[in-house]
Amino acid sequence: MPTPAIHIKDLHKNYAELKAVKGISFDIKQGEFFALLGQNGAGKSTTINILTGLSNKTSGTVKIFNSDVSQNYQSARKRIGLVPQEFNMDKFEIVEKFLDFNAGYFGIAKEQRKIRITHVLKELGLENKRHSKILMLSGGMKRRLLIARALLHDPDILILDEPTAGVDVESRRSIWETMQRFNKAGKTILLTTHYIEEAEELADRVAIIHHGKIIKIDTKQNIMQQFGKDLVTLHFKSKISKVPSEIMGQKPTLGSDKSSLQFIFDHQKFKQKDLLQTITKSKAESFEISKAKLEDIFVELTKGESKK
Amino acid sequence: MNSEMISFLSFTNREVSRLLRVWKQTIVPPIITSLLYILIFGYSLGSKITSIGGVSYLEYIFPGLIMMGVISSSYSNTSSSLYISKFQGNIQEVLVAPMSYMSIIIALATGSLVRSTLVAIGTLIIGSLFAGLSIVNIAVIIYFLVASILLFAFAGILTGLWAESFDQMSVFATFVVTPLTYLGGVFYSIDMLPPFFRTISLLNPIYYIVDGFRYGFFGTTTSPLWISALVVFILTVFFFGTCVVLFKRGYRIRT
Repeated sequence: MPTPAIHIKDLHKNYAELKAVKGISFDIKQGEFFALLGQNGAGKSTTINILTGLSNKTSGTVKIFNSDVSQNYQSARKRIGLVPQEFNMDKFEIVEKFLDFNAGYFGIAKEQRKIRITHVLKELGLENKRHSKILMLSGGMKRRLLIARALLHDPDILILDEPTAGVDVESRRSIWETMQRFNKAGKTILLTTHYIEEAEELADRVAIIHHGKIIKIDTKQNIMQQFGKDLVTLHFKSKISKVPSEIMGQKPTLGSDKSSLQFIFDHQKFKQKDLLQTITKSKAESFEISKAKLEDIFVELTKGESKK
Repeated sequence: MNSEMISFLSFTNREVSRLLRVWKQTIVPPIITSLLYILIFGYSLGSKITSIGGVSYLEYIFPGLIMMGVISSSYSNTSSSLYISKFQGNIQEVLVAPMSYMSIIIALATGSLVRSTLVAIGTLIIGSLFAGLSIVNIAVIIYFLVASILLFAFAGILTGLWAESFDQMSVFATFVVTPLTYLGGVFYSIDMLPPFFRTISLLNPIYYIVDGFRYGFFGTTTSPLWISALVVFILTVFFFGTCVVLFKRGYRIRT
């Protein structure tokens, strides 16, 4: 089995009395696009901070390509590019100089730094901001500059902590495209977000963290399959006087126009082909299916979990 | 060049670039302060004092004035650089980089070394316009200059790590560094003090710095030169070691 890009085992983090992370364990495979979902204070940023060296763990094992983040921190950090949630930059610095210093911190030689800076600025659409002061950039540009900084040393893992928080639609699309290009190049991505549609759009596998514990981890498809409940609407030619016997078992409700019926299709109880058969037998004129959203599943999974 | 050296030089470059960007705040003020001391204590009040240890009062206080500027520049360079990096969050740039803690500490101290050396040269040039300058032992001057810069650079790092507010930042400077500097024999010889205060002065590390540094200019000391050199060396090593331990633990820089 190939070495996982990220290996976390029984990770705990306490801040005095507060237990922020309570024994989480998971691996992220090389080349995977992994999303860590959770509400504010769930433990997402704490986990990321431990991976990148910004927090000390209380106990447990955390490895990056088999290098322990505490004992072998220099090898571990070389492999990671971090896009933090906050704008942690010297705002008075010039963009090019800022990137040059940061590339240097990762041990990139001077000649190579120029090439990498040009590449990442182009990648993030910031070529014309090369000589601007960071202070003069818009919020979306600053966010893209943080990503440019993280890509400077061509890391194997890109960790993004809420990368699209507070950015406009154009910048968000640009950030998504950058993440997808990076992932297609075989690199691993760990994304934390509370925009569920972001994870739904981009991630291969999802973990839901709640009050410091992983409450669900699986591929996006499996989670949708397991917990997704689609809303099926059948439209009939005329007003319905009697519910067709074929769909009685689905407990449908009558639509406000009186000529449609709606029911929830539970993937856990029924198979897709059963649904198609039911629709055909009902003799409906047309039908529509509103797919379940990851957001609904997230709300469903987290609402039942009490703070332990 | 290996990657560790590139990391170290890049961070050093950033530190130097930062202090040169605001040279009017970092380099000029201590030189002007020294000039004012020369004019007030050297010219006006100093004319009432004939000589100390065979040299004019102005010449006598001059090495101490250089050291005052050097100490405060070195200390405030690392303490403010580290504290503002914590405050702005950009300390995280070096914390997530594959750079050793040792490189981070030495790069911060190198910033102090550059700033304080520029202050020392500036003060030396200005001072030499007013006082005759003699140098007896350049090696002693360089030793005490470099060791003192490093000692207070490391003390500044410790303060920058510890401080969680601007108030806390000023506490150590106001209540420790400034009083020790003024009571460290810059403006007088401790031989002029009553026995009790003379003994108390011997507990002040800045006294040894100024006394040893002055030897490089006049060839005379109040305490044996080797004792002064040893005190400064031991304190520098102690502060450096403490910085390394605290950085490794992530004291107030890692959550």
